[in-house]
Amino acid sequence: MNDMRIVERDLDSTDIKIAARDVQVYYGENHAIKDVSVDILHKTVTAFIGPSGCGKSTFLRCINRMNDTIDVARMEGKIEIDGTDIYDRTVDPVQLRAKVGMVFQKPNPFPKSIYDNVAYGPKIHGLSKSKAELDEIVEKALRRGAIWDEVKDRLDAPGTGLSGGQQQRLCIARAVATEPEVLLMDEPCSALDPIATAQVEELIDELRENYSVVIVTHSMQQAARVSQRTAFFHLGNLVEYGETGQIFTNPEDPRTESYITGRIG
Amino acid sequence: MTDAASHTSLTAQSDLVKRRNAAEKRFRAYGLTAIMIGLAMLVFLVVTIVGSGWNAFFQTRITVQVELVQDEIDAAEAGFLKTAAYRGIISANLREQLTALGLGTDVSDDDIEGLISRRAPAALRDFVRDNPDRIGDTVEFDFLAQSFIDGYFKNRVTRDIAERSRNVSVAQLDLIDQMRDAGLASKAFNLDFITGNDASESSPEAAGYGPAILGSLAMMIVVAVLAISIGVAASIFLEEFAPQNRLTDLIEVNISNLAAVPSIVFGILGLAVFINYLGPLSGTDWLKNNSAFVGGLVLSLMTLPTIIIATRASLKAVPQSIRDAALGVGASKMQTVFHHVLPLAAPGILTGSIIGLAQALGESAPLLLVGLVLAQGAAAPETVSDFFGGPNTAMPAQIYQWSTRADPAFYERAWGGIIILLIFLVTMNTLAVILRRRFERRW
Repeated sequence: MNDMRIVERDLDSTDIKIAARDVQVYYGENHAIKDVSVDILHKTVTAFIGPSGCGKSTFLRCINRMNDTIDVARMEGKIEIDGTDIYDRTVDPVQLRAKVGMVFQKPNPFPKSIYDNVAYGPKIHGLSKSKAELDEIVEKALRRGAIWDEVKDRLDAPGTGLSGGQQQRLCIARAVATEPEVLLMDEPCSALDPIATAQVEELIDELRENYSVVIVTHSMQQAARVSQRTAFFHLGNLVEYGETGQIFTNPEDPRTESYITGRIG
Repeated sequence: MTDAASHTSLTAQSDLVKRRNAAEKRFRAYGLTAIMIGLAMLVFLVVTIVGSGWNAFFQTRITVQVELVQDEIDAAEAGFLKTAAYRGIISANLREQLTALGLGTDVSDDDIEGLISRRAPAALRDFVRDNPDRIGDTVEFDFLAQSFIDGYFKNRVTRDIAERSRNVSVAQLDLIDQMRDAGLASKAFNLDFITGNDASESSPEAAGYGPAILGSLAMMIVVAVLAISIGVAASIFLEEFAPQNRLTDLIEVNISNLAAVPSIVFGILGLAVFINYLGPLSGTDWLKNNSAFVGGLVLSLMTLPTIIIATRASLKAVPQSIRDAALGVGASKMQTVFHHVLPLAAPGILTGSIIGLAQALGESAPLLLVGLVLAQGAAAPETVSDFFGGPNTAMPAQIYQWSTRADPAFYERAWGGIIILLIFLVTMNTLAVILRRRFERRW
């Protein structure tokens, strides 16, 4: 398998799903994100790459307002999803997070059964009217998470008892169970072995049919493998954003070139 | 230099290594010594407590066949000092019995009467009142022996003491020895010590911890309801919802300081606020001197910081990733806390709360200030209102109270009370450990 193979994928859509304008994020005195403006397309996998501490995760967490939970974080600018400013006073972050799912760096299943892990989101959002309907949602989500076959016989087993890769796919299933429109993934494969990584990457490619996926990754190969568009962050700035093929083969900015050739970062 | 380094022997220790190893050995020895001293103290404590208090659970009883004659009872009931008349009935029957066995012929009537507890006549009278149909029969009673006689059975009272004492005579001791041989007097387990009421200073043999245990129970209920609910709610708010700023820092420091405030200060506070200020204002019995409710409030104040600190620590121990996971699927803050964080923190919260309760159970100083010490003769409460609001006492206060009484028999009973209290405390702490083991979940 050629790790650096750059898929010649056609963009399925050119609809803008998320539009960020002049986003600034401060952690106390620290200016973590500077003037980031980016348009993320619908039904597209967008990769954020860049050296550690460049702000890519911080920016990702802005998209579903997870930074609200950090007291010292302060955000300026505008992020619109389908034309609605998500930082508007009238937007409820809880509803937003149902629409914008998130998968974290470390697999973090609830210390509950596999079934309850997936059913929790639909339950609190009232997506099912009956037990049968909930069962259906859980099965569908686990199938989408490509883990159904492995766990269908032990849905009552604790989610924390699965292997790392299975746990991460369970977390993805949990995230898609609430039928989000955008799926944010913060280095979803950093704790996984190559086989589990391959499974998750395959899954990301399938998810593209329904969702707009934004993935933060440290691995440039991964970005090249799974994404259609790539954004390169450096020191809190969005340096370059474009089609993945173009970023990796013909970057415009010298900093991008240095990074992908391994000279910085 | 590099030559020397590369050829250092692995078997010969350099001075530096020798010093380092010696220091480590010394440190281990210090630690071991400290633990040994601690263990020795513990063993000494347990041996002393059990050795001094064990006898309190046993009481000497004297078997007397009492013939319940209608005329005698009528005469006794007609008299002004009724129990005194019953006392006469008991001693007459005992004398008759002893004479039949050829015992105590040279012992005076007063001495025979003095063998039996002053509480015995009341017990006989209660029996007659409850069982009028038994009048005319001869009924066998096991009356408590008077405390000095009991003390003789427990080696507390010796003949030397009896020679100099006004309360007990050598003749009585000789007689009771003979009665013991005849099977009329023996020492047996005494449940009344745990369940019975307090008795006057002159009859320690009849005194029990019943009301004190109930009083402690009432206070524990108040503490469990108030301190745990308020403490846990406050900690959840501080830990999960409150913003981190100067004000919350100040509150945090103050809570930690409160945990170090001497308990008697809480007693003074309770006296000033609950009894002197809120009591007259509310006009209820529950906020009065002596009431278990006030005792519970004071102990709740004292326990709150302990519970808050334990709860916050266990909330802090729940990994942030669980909160992220819940928020990530669109749970609200409150759902996150109640569905995920709290269940994971529950074992720690439970342990902290039980330890807080155990601490409150053993506390006496603040209770002395809010009057939870009945002079004597405390009776068990009969209604719920009495349970919380009536004159009451608590285990540690009762122990303190008895340890100050002159009769050494009370001293022994104070030690016995400490055994009861320790059993409660050990049970609660064990429960805390078991709950912790059982419900601890890994993630």
